[in-house]
Amino acid sequence: MSIPTLTRLPAPTGPTGRNRGPLAAIRARVTIYGLPRALHPGAWWLWALGGAVAASRTTNPLSLALLVAAVSWVVVSRRAEAPWAMAFRLYLGLAGFIIAVRVGFRILFGADGSTILFDLPRIQLPDPFSITLFGPVSAEAVLSGLYGGCQLGAMVICVGAANALANPKRLLAAVPGALYEFGAVLVVALSVFPQLAESVQRVSRARRLRSGRGRRHFLRQVMMPVLADALDRSLDLAGAMDSRGYGQRGTVTARARHLTSGLLLLAAGGLCVGAYAALDTSGATPGWLGGAALAGGLALAGAAFRLAGRRARRTRYRPDRWRMAEAVVVLCGLAPALALSWLSRTHPTLAYPSVSPLVWPGLTVVELVGLLAAALPAWLTPPPPDRAATAQSDQTTEPDQGAKTA
Amino acid sequence: MSAAGRSERPIPVGPKSVLLLTLVSLAGLAMFAWPLFRPAQPAAVQHAEDAPFIFVLILPLLVLLVLVQLTERGMDAKALAMLGVLSAVIAALRPLGAGLNGIETVFFLMILAGRVFGPGFGFVLGCSSIFASALLTAGVGPWMPFQMLASAWVGMGAGLLPERLFGKPVRGWREMAWLIAYGIVAAYLFGLIMNLWFWPYVSGFGQAGLDYVAGGPLLDNLRRFLIFTLVSSTAVWDTGRAITDTVLIAVLGPGVLAILRRAVRRANFDPVVEFDPVSGG
Repeated sequence: MSIPTLTRLPAPTGPTGRNRGPLAAIRARVTIYGLPRALHPGAWWLWALGGAVAASRTTNPLSLALLVAAVSWVVVSRRAEAPWAMAFRLYLGLAGFIIAVRVGFRILFGADGSTILFDLPRIQLPDPFSITLFGPVSAEAVLSGLYGGCQLGAMVICVGAANALANPKRLLAAVPGALYEFGAVLVVALSVFPQLAESVQRVSRARRLRSGRGRRHFLRQVMMPVLADALDRSLDLAGAMDSRGYGQRGTVTARARHLTSGLLLLAAGGLCVGAYAALDTSGATPGWLGGAALAGGLALAGAAFRLAGRRARRTRYRPDRWRMAEAVVVLCGLAPALALSWLSRTHPTLAYPSVSPLVWPGLTVVELVGLLAAALPAWLTPPPPDRAATAQSDQTTEPDQGAKTA
Repeated sequence: MSAAGRSERPIPVGPKSVLLLTLVSLAGLAMFAWPLFRPAQPAAVQHAEDAPFIFVLILPLLVLLVLVQLTERGMDAKALAMLGVLSAVIAALRPLGAGLNGIETVFFLMILAGRVFGPGFGFVLGCSSIFASALLTAGVGPWMPFQMLASAWVGMGAGLLPERLFGKPVRGWREMAWLIAYGIVAAYLFGLIMNLWFWPYVSGFGQAGLDYVAGGPLLDNLRRFLIFTLVSSTAVWDTGRAITDTVLIAVLGPGVLAILRRAVRRANFDPVVEFDPVSGG
């Protein structure tokens, strides 16, 4: 995959120029690998999913803290300067909120436990609820709330890391052909969004000029024109799309369409059976049946997507390539998932430390290695492009701005 | 369906789509309600909860299957542009209510658009607006497929409200009454199923009255859940949502409906002319 890029770049000039040794070739490859670029958004999502799977396999606060630290470090060192990248702190806040709610509920509803931390007055609710609030607060109850909250919070932070690292617009560009229309709807929505703010400003300015007063009827007098304006624009956009050849359909026969629908139905059926088998742990459905139904459903869905995507051939402008760095990122995400899945199977007492009796949680070497591997993309991936670009443009624009203010 | 009726339906829902929609909706409902149907588990397995994680992966796939089927004939450019613009408007409305207690500004437009453009459009709009707003606010997560499906149901249900009743077209104050009643029901049901899916995660208070009991009898768990949801969210959040729906539909409804119907007339969604090549074999 990296060979085409290699030929396009100017050859690094060695001492002799022509007879470069293998060392120089390797050095050139390493240089190219480290060139600033945005990674494939799918790679970041797979990496983050690996982290989320790892978090789902443990309630050990030490491993969860380590995981969150690793993920956050990667986000801080590899996020681009973009609005979606700044949303990471919101996810940190959300995780904190989840932990606070779970611990707060344990205190509010007063769970059982022998190690009493402090005592709160009991409140008995009237009959239909039959619930007592507060009461003695035990360390066991608080800790079980804390552990569960940490697990959910770590999963939320992993998802937030993917949101912060992966460019949502590039993710849309990777939408398969079968979902082309849906992807196009999202692209339209994302590009119309900034126009709405402008539309609101225009309408409110017109309203002020008509001496529209205060906040009365604000909703009706601003919302209605903005909506009408947006819909009119959508018709203009549709006209423009039609005139540029949108809606061009390939030659898909009626039989192919029936086949697609049939495949879609079968796929949905297979996935439903698989989901049912996953839910049914009582052993009434044999384990292999669920797995087979899931795999079959996935395969059928893939076939239906392929078939439906064939209705129109489309080329892609500047596709995101899957190269070495993407594979490295995915492997780094796989490591913690594998480590903790293994641990939760072989040593469940380590993965899920006991709360009653209270036990100090421990860490194993496998866990440590797996979780630290999640942080490796911070060093092993090329930096995002716009950081380097902004660093350069800052230098070039500075005198310009100085001239403007002077 | 007559040609005139068809021209108002930018995304037609054929019999195959109905079949797939029903199947996926039933499966989706089961995935929302999984805590009620789960059998009792041996204590050793209880930590390794696989089912909810598998659902988080399967549910978006099922939603995508429906979207592929609905847009399988290709979407009219006007329907596509209108979906995109309405999704953007809804995505812009969504954060308006985020900071306030239970104010939900999203549903009223979804309901009105579903009413005007039909169930297929309502379904796709529910999905696309939640997805667009998740992309804009970087809010993609395991909760998103559940929100997408629930909103899609809200939009689709609005499209299924009766167009004619006792031979008379439902318009004017009757239409408003229908839409407001639907808005209130949708607000409470949405809150209910979104809580249901999440219940076992916040459960475990050690109280018989509120707690989720894995494998408990269906009705017992349902009763406990209803108390839980009444205590935790119905009283404040869902009521706030219902009130917002009612007020917005009552105040803005007639105007928005007029704007949307004007757009339908201008767009003139004709039945698509298709040429199927005659296969010689």
